[in-house]
Amino acid sequence: MSDTELPSDAKDDLTYCDREPIHILGHAQSHGVVLVLQPSDCTILQVSDNTLALLGYKPEELWQQALSRIFAPDVIAYLKHCAQHEHLSENPLYIFTINVIGRVQLFDAIAHMIDGLLILELEPTLLESTIARINPYRTLKTALPRLMSTLTLTPFCQGVAEHVRTLTGFDRVMVYRFHADQSGEVIAEARRDDLEPYLGLHYPASDIPQQARALYLRNWLRLIPDVADVPATIVPALNPVTGRPLDMSFAVLRSVSTMHIEYLINMGVRASMSISLITDNQLWGLIACHHQSGPKYVPYDIRTACEFLAQVVSAQIGTKREHEDYTYALQLKSIVTEFVAVLSTSDNLLDGLTQLSPNLLDVMQASGAAICFNGECRQLGVTPDVASIRQLIAWIAAHSDQAVFATNTLARDYPPGEQMIAVASGVLAVAISRTRHDYVLWFRPEVIQTVHWAGDPHKPYEVADDGVHLSPRKSFALWKQEVRSTSQPWQPCEIEAAQELRNAIIAVVLRKAEELARLNTELTRSNAELDAFAYIASHDLKEPLRGIHNYASFLLEDYEDKLDAEGVEKLHTLKRLTQRMDALIESLLHYSRVGRVDLSFRTTDLNQLLAEVLELLKPLIDEVQAEIHIPRPLPTIDCDQVRVREVFHNLISNALKYNVRDHRWVEIGYDDTGSYRDRLKLQPSIILDDPSSQPETAPVVLYVQDNGIGIRDKHFEVIFRIFRRLHARDAFGGGTGSGLTIAKKIIERHGGHIWVESVYGEGSKFCFTLQPWES
Amino acid sequence: MQEGAVQPILIVEDSDEDYEATVRAFRKLQVDHRLIRCVDGHAALHFLSRHTAQHDADHSGQSSRPAIILLDLNLPGMDGRDVLRQIKTDANLKGIPVIILTTSNNPLDIQACYQEGANTYVQKPLDLEQFYYTISILYTYWFDITSLPGV
Repeated sequence: MSDTELPSDAKDDLTYCDREPIHILGHAQSHGVVLVLQPSDCTILQVSDNTLALLGYKPEELWQQALSRIFAPDVIAYLKHCAQHEHLSENPLYIFTINVIGRVQLFDAIAHMIDGLLILELEPTLLESTIARINPYRTLKTALPRLMSTLTLTPFCQGVAEHVRTLTGFDRVMVYRFHADQSGEVIAEARRDDLEPYLGLHYPASDIPQQARALYLRNWLRLIPDVADVPATIVPALNPVTGRPLDMSFAVLRSVSTMHIEYLINMGVRASMSISLITDNQLWGLIACHHQSGPKYVPYDIRTACEFLAQVVSAQIGTKREHEDYTYALQLKSIVTEFVAVLSTSDNLLDGLTQLSPNLLDVMQASGAAICFNGECRQLGVTPDVASIRQLIAWIAAHSDQAVFATNTLARDYPPGEQMIAVASGVLAVAISRTRHDYVLWFRPEVIQTVHWAGDPHKPYEVADDGVHLSPRKSFALWKQEVRSTSQPWQPCEIEAAQELRNAIIAVVLRKAEELARLNTELTRSNAELDAFAYIASHDLKEPLRGIHNYASFLLEDYEDKLDAEGVEKLHTLKRLTQRMDALIESLLHYSRVGRVDLSFRTTDLNQLLAEVLELLKPLIDEVQAEIHIPRPLPTIDCDQVRVREVFHNLISNALKYNVRDHRWVEIGYDDTGSYRDRLKLQPSIILDDPSSQPETAPVVLYVQDNGIGIRDKHFEVIFRIFRRLHARDAFGGGTGSGLTIAKKIIERHGGHIWVESVYGEGSKFCFTLQPWES
Repeated sequence: MQEGAVQPILIVEDSDEDYEATVRAFRKLQVDHRLIRCVDGHAALHFLSRHTAQHDADHSGQSSRPAIILLDLNLPGMDGRDVLRQIKTDANLKGIPVIILTTSNNPLDIQACYQEGANTYVQKPLDLEQFYYTISILYTYWFDITSLPGV
């Protein structure tokens, strides 16, 4: 809505307008006169065709005439002097106020050089009361210190708008800022109280065509004092010396394109002025002035003061913006540092990121954050659902190999993003592990959500049938269309912060991995040491045992005839005791090895295994005359053959021994109906990804059942403890009481469980699994 | 070597009790062979280096070169496994059958000893009667059934 050259909803005209050569249209504002001179001798080459009314000469009377025709010699001399010594090239300067020979009207003369020509523009001097006349220098002197004292951009621009309004008296002065995508926003405004506010209004980039932008970079100030003006034409159209149309880029009196005039008229604007705000050779924004009450002529000195103000402001904007950026970057850095410090102390990465303070969301200006790590996903704030997040991560991992991925237009590259634009139009993702889809993400909503405009959306607006009609509402609507599904863009300092966070997170993960590796190494070493220790220890313990045993034997051999029966008996007891100790040491050693040695898993046919065990136990089976029942063939599973053989051996031999009936039987079978699900669920097991899911297959529960002496409930746990027997030492065939302990150890190392069901006096059923319980 | 010279049996054993048991075992078998005992590895190797030259018989027709060596693994000082290695890498000595007679049932030990060239690995049973039986089987095997290398 500022000094635009063309309305924006005329799409066809847009492309034309981008090409329209607005600087060589050859029209001048009719309140002044344009004289195009040969620099060397000030011969008049071209004039605006309104010279008769203003100067008293027809154009044809001036062509190819010396300037001395209308101006005094000292004027011309001075002009020539300036042309030589002042920097006039593309730089209009006020030269003097003069009158045409013989006429009263005074003109402010402004000269500049372009394309090898000297252009002299004559504006009628405005006669105002010198007291009431605004003193631009005093105003500036007041304005500048006040402006310098504001630190941040918005109040600064607000001050600028107000000072320009004071200087010029325009009904409305706006500061209009361009965003990275070239769309514009009114960020400050000083206006007449009765006017509708335009503060906060957004305009699409198309509102200001390329040609205009290019011109605004070269020429700082454009003034249209009266849209109703019928412009004068430069005659002749082509310059006799250059053969080209006059380049009016720097001409103060340049008249703008008719489309633009129409546009301003439709806006209800009678006069407009715009001044460029330029930083780093880029058009940062505009100071846009509108006047509705009537035409507005701004004298040269005030125009210059405004231009000067704009230039000072331009310089300062850079600083203010840097200051803002710097402040923000500093803030960001400080919070990231705090975050990193807190994170490195936490043990669990996910907890650390989400539960400590500051948390992941506090660090970045975003509405939501999420972390997916090790298959687990945690969310903070407003985010898409977990499934969508995972899908997005998969896409990012496949499409970007950068450590940090940032977009503020997700839906445009990622079709499913359409569903999420309210929540995730912008995504900033850092990869912790691309291959495992471990990512940290921040989400930004659609920017429209965060922008509001103070203007009244319901104000009716007249629409003319002819010409183009643009309204602020339409501009805003158009802008909204263009920024649909985009979020606030991610600033470089934010991306840097994300990178730093990634490094911190990876450091934590690495540290954990290192710790784990170290623990593993230590464990391996410790295991090896224990192994060696166990053997040495058992050996050293066994030696004196042998000695005792041997000597008891020697005593018996040598002194048997000298000892009475009791004495002999005692020596026999001595021997038995040593044997018992030896067995205990042996089973302890065995138990220790079973706990530490690596299992070697093989596909095992349990029937085969069972057959071998029964073969080994044949003497015992025959001795007690037991029946062996195997209701159906056992399954084939992956397990450590040797160890599982031991399990069966221990359980079956127990079943055979702990029985007093005449007809003993032992049954070996399995249950795959899943009736033990609940029992198995009670046992601690591996962490499931989703605890609510049911396993697909029932676990295979093997069992060894007997009709033996049974076990009381209260002993169900204790029987598995090492060296724990429920009976006298030699009862039921004796034993060290380590059989069940070793069996349990082996089973647990397979990830399974063992338990007993029994009725005292009737029999027992030992059940076990050899696989971990998992879905 | 003269025909009929009887070679001794070398027993490397540090435990007096175990040696006593071994002596009794052989006594029961009423063997002809002299029993020579060394209490540690160094002594054993020293003995072997001095008394195993070929054609070395004393005046009574007795050779000092052992027919077999019974070697315990857990010896003080030099480990039994090192003694085994020394014997089995010596050109002169490696032909002598070495029977490892030890309490250790560590599979690593068993593996290592056979790897180093042990001829037999026997675990000493705790029970004395069983020990007598073991020795008698060993003796029968090595002296009645198999043929030993000549001197």
